[in-house]
Amino acid sequence: MLKIIIPTIMLIPLTWMSKPNMIWINTTTYGLLISLISLFYLNQPNDNTLNSSLMFFSDSLSAPLLALTTWLLPLMLMASQHHLSKEPLTRKKLYISMLILLQLFLIMTFTASELIFFYILFEATLIPTLIIITRWGSQTERLNAGLYFLFYTLMGSLPLLVALLYIHNFMGSLNFLMIQYWIQPLPNSWSNIFLWLACMMAFMVKMPLYGLHLWLPKAHVEAPIAGSMVLAAVLLKLGGYGMMRITTLLNPLTNFMAYPFMMLSLWGMIMTSSICLRQTDLKSLIAYSSVSHMALVIVAVLIQTPWSYMGATALMIAHGLTSSMLFCLANSNYERIHSRTMILARGLQTLLPLMAAWWLLASLTNLALPPTINLIGELFVVMSSFSWSNITIILMGINIIITALYSLYMLITTQRGKYSHHIKNIKPSFTRENALMTLHLLPLLLLSLNPKIILGPIY
Amino acid sequence: MNMFSSCMITALVILTLPIIMSSTKLYKNKLYPYYVKTATSYAFMISMIPTMMFIYSGQEMIISNWHWMTIQTMKLSMSFKLDYFSMIFVPVALFVTWSIMEFSMWYMHSDPYINRFFKYLLLFLITMMVLVTANNMFQLFIGWEGVGIMSFLLIGWWYGRTDANTAALQAVLYNRIGDVGFIMAMAWFQLNLNTWDLQQIFITTNDNFNLPLLGLLLAATGKSAQFGLHPWLPSAMEGPTPVSALLHSSTMVVAGVFLLIRFHPLMEHNQTIQTLTLCLGAITTLLTAICALTQNDIKKIVAFSTSSQLGLMMVTIGINQPYLAFLHICTHAFFKAMLFMCSGSIIHSLNDEQDIRKMGGLFKVLPFTTTSLIIGSLALTGMPFLTGFYSKDLIIESANTSNTNAWALLITLVATSLTAAYSTRIMFFALLGQPRFSPMILINENNPLLINSIKRLLIGSVFAGYIISHSITPTTIPQMTMPHYLKMTALAVTILGFILALELNLTTQGLKFNYPSNYFKFSSLLGYYPTIMHRLTPKTSLTISQKSASMLLDSIWLENILPKSISYFQMKSSTLISNQKGLIKLYFLSFMLTMILSLLILNYHG
Repeated sequence: MLKIIIPTIMLIPLTWMSKPNMIWINTTTYGLLISLISLFYLNQPNDNTLNSSLMFFSDSLSAPLLALTTWLLPLMLMASQHHLSKEPLTRKKLYISMLILLQLFLIMTFTASELIFFYILFEATLIPTLIIITRWGSQTERLNAGLYFLFYTLMGSLPLLVALLYIHNFMGSLNFLMIQYWIQPLPNSWSNIFLWLACMMAFMVKMPLYGLHLWLPKAHVEAPIAGSMVLAAVLLKLGGYGMMRITTLLNPLTNFMAYPFMMLSLWGMIMTSSICLRQTDLKSLIAYSSVSHMALVIVAVLIQTPWSYMGATALMIAHGLTSSMLFCLANSNYERIHSRTMILARGLQTLLPLMAAWWLLASLTNLALPPTINLIGELFVVMSSFSWSNITIILMGINIIITALYSLYMLITTQRGKYSHHIKNIKPSFTRENALMTLHLLPLLLLSLNPKIILGPIY
Repeated sequence: MNMFSSCMITALVILTLPIIMSSTKLYKNKLYPYYVKTATSYAFMISMIPTMMFIYSGQEMIISNWHWMTIQTMKLSMSFKLDYFSMIFVPVALFVTWSIMEFSMWYMHSDPYINRFFKYLLLFLITMMVLVTANNMFQLFIGWEGVGIMSFLLIGWWYGRTDANTAALQAVLYNRIGDVGFIMAMAWFQLNLNTWDLQQIFITTNDNFNLPLLGLLLAATGKSAQFGLHPWLPSAMEGPTPVSALLHSSTMVVAGVFLLIRFHPLMEHNQTIQTLTLCLGAITTLLTAICALTQNDIKKIVAFSTSSQLGLMMVTIGINQPYLAFLHICTHAFFKAMLFMCSGSIIHSLNDEQDIRKMGGLFKVLPFTTTSLIIGSLALTGMPFLTGFYSKDLIIESANTSNTNAWALLITLVATSLTAAYSTRIMFFALLGQPRFSPMILINENNPLLINSIKRLLIGSVFAGYIISHSITPTTIPQMTMPHYLKMTALAVTILGFILALELNLTTQGLKFNYPSNYFKFSSLLGYYPTIMHRLTPKTSLTISQKSASMLLDSIWLENILPKSISYFQMKSSTLISNQKGLIKLYFLSFMLTMILSLLILNYHG
């Protein structure tokens, strides 16, 4: 694992020592090279895991997320160039260093083999994210958003620390690879119920579960583009990853503890997607759509069947790329229109036809057009929830309909219609932006050819 | 090894070539539409070879080539099913598309993005081919969703118009409701039969197929615009006329019926679903025929007649005659596409005038279009020995002789009669009588692109029914004997419709224009369905999402319960407990007193 971690650390000196006009290109190229290394981990030759050392391992659940993380850093760098063009050099470098630091923490989180180590890194990712949001956000509300972000996730995860210490006490180890063999079924008692809650809530807040999701739209709206991208693409997936890892410890309590959360997710998925129908703010719409998609992941993880796990893993990767792409598109609009209000950007297809094609493809993947991996993820989740209870198909069906509706509503409002006068003299789309969208779409399309590498360990 | 599979694959590959070429310089070429059209015609001719082989020897085939993935016990691979249905439908669809593409070269010639338009048409055709030839449900779903999205793109072709965008969104919404049914059926099959392969689904037996079949029926309802989910089809007329001709008459909208035909091995023993299908089809065919009666937009009339014919196909499936329904799909494609092209020709000639009240007397200025329109309408009504006769007459006969729901039968007969009525209305208002259009318009239909494409379909509308029904192998035994009056019913109701409509139309010229009656309003306002469903439901759901989901829950309750209340209590308790109250004078006084005291005490002590 060091062959990813050390190059990532070395990115920081690269940033600070690069010539002023080379900082973006150097870091982006270097980041892309690192992401190539991470692709090797997608090949999991044996069914088990690849142990890199006592501290780090990767299996087919963490490898796709790892690849996603490393893939996203160059994309974030490409996306933020324009946004930072007016900042002084030191601040640019600081910004890049923060992103690199975040990637470093994320890589280690996804590959940590020890739960406490995982927890520490899980918390550590908050720091660079908080700095990115509160330092480089565009409005004063960013402070409030940072506050929400920090406190929701901290409050959720502090009980997890206690729970982990307790588990360590009676199990003797917190190593992922070991505890799956040592695990005893938890007896049904009040204390164990609290243990379950403590373990799961940290990740549920991170996902976020409906009801605890308020921090997400705020953080997304206020964060600069790179913050939104990494938040939607990777940080939310930390929650899903953690849940899938930790549920092995918590059987058989999950069988009945899942019910309230399942209900909340199913309900929240419809609520949040119907909120999307009424959003005027582009970024907020995408943020709520993330909440609704992540609710599907929560449902899938709580159902705990092979199909649902495969669906959850596939959906996490697919949503990571799709929502990140949508945020990029929103940002490219914002840089031209200087507003996040959708109606102000109407008729952009006339002026930027290629960008309209990206918008179309992004919306189509967001509404899970077959045969994209988004569909594979959603389909598997729907299948497993259908087998869990036939009635859920009604809720899932409503959600499918609303998802299609708001995705196309977003497309039509921003791209179609007559263009308004204030957008007549906007800049054409840059090669950088088109490359950015292509780099988001390419993995999506290639993965649809061979989805089994992102279907997780149970595949 | 014979040429069966290789020819079929060649035909499909030829279709993808212009799509691949669209990344090259060729795409910028003015001749790109021509290439696309030629590719389609080649694909048609090549696909005729396996079809001929099928007709000759009746061989069917499954091509299973690329293994996509295996999920635990379920294998998903790319496979094509070349059986009766796909072998007959593929050439028909390619033939119709070929003509429509030629027609659009004329109709869209002034569009700056005509190349893109052709690419979209071709993409649509490819997804349709995927749908028709799919051998497993996943592949079918790819085609199913693909045609839906292409229909969205093509309806919203003139994206500057709000109406076009709304219609496109409406089409996707109604289709999406159907997709939920499809997904449910997929989930059920996966769960209970552990397969998506059609063969494996059909050989496994299960007591109760009600749930998946209901799902499939819902899917077909959405895609084929059956009652309840029907308003999108007339709205889709906002798209360009070639799109209406291709998607919304001959190919995409029949996908729902096609789906039910594909799954008829499961349906043929299920009385409940059959009855449901029958009633649904009957209601659709009547309601849309009634709506067609009072429309004034020529495309809307044709669209409603499509919807009515789709209802008739559903009725046919409901009386357990899938092969007949399929035959009707094939014959319908010819004359309905031609009707749309004729109306496109009229609309284009009259400077985008779609209102039949402003046409009239076109038989003198557009003789060829008039001929085709009349033949198409006659074929539609089931005039003997034209294409429509061979399927429609059989459908009505077998409905008459089956022991089916008498009401559904009666409704269908009424709708058949109405078909003749609204066809007469188009002919009467658009073609006959005195001209009512502006005399300044220069009308010219003598463009080979237009004439040839319509001519080709015209020949199809006259002969295709005969050719198809006489060359395919017989499948279900048709009703051989029946009383005279039953044999003549179809013809009688049609002639009745013709005569009535002609008389009524003639009387309209001499009469004062009355205040519209309630029946008229019911028909012209489309049965009040869009008025109710397109106002009430969106308004309530959008209000709910705004008021309760967004404002009440998100901005008030969730905000207040957690963050706001915590900060509020923290603030209150900290002010309560804190010593600091901001009483500066008092603090300074006490400070001064202690200072003085300490000074005094310390000094004296020293």
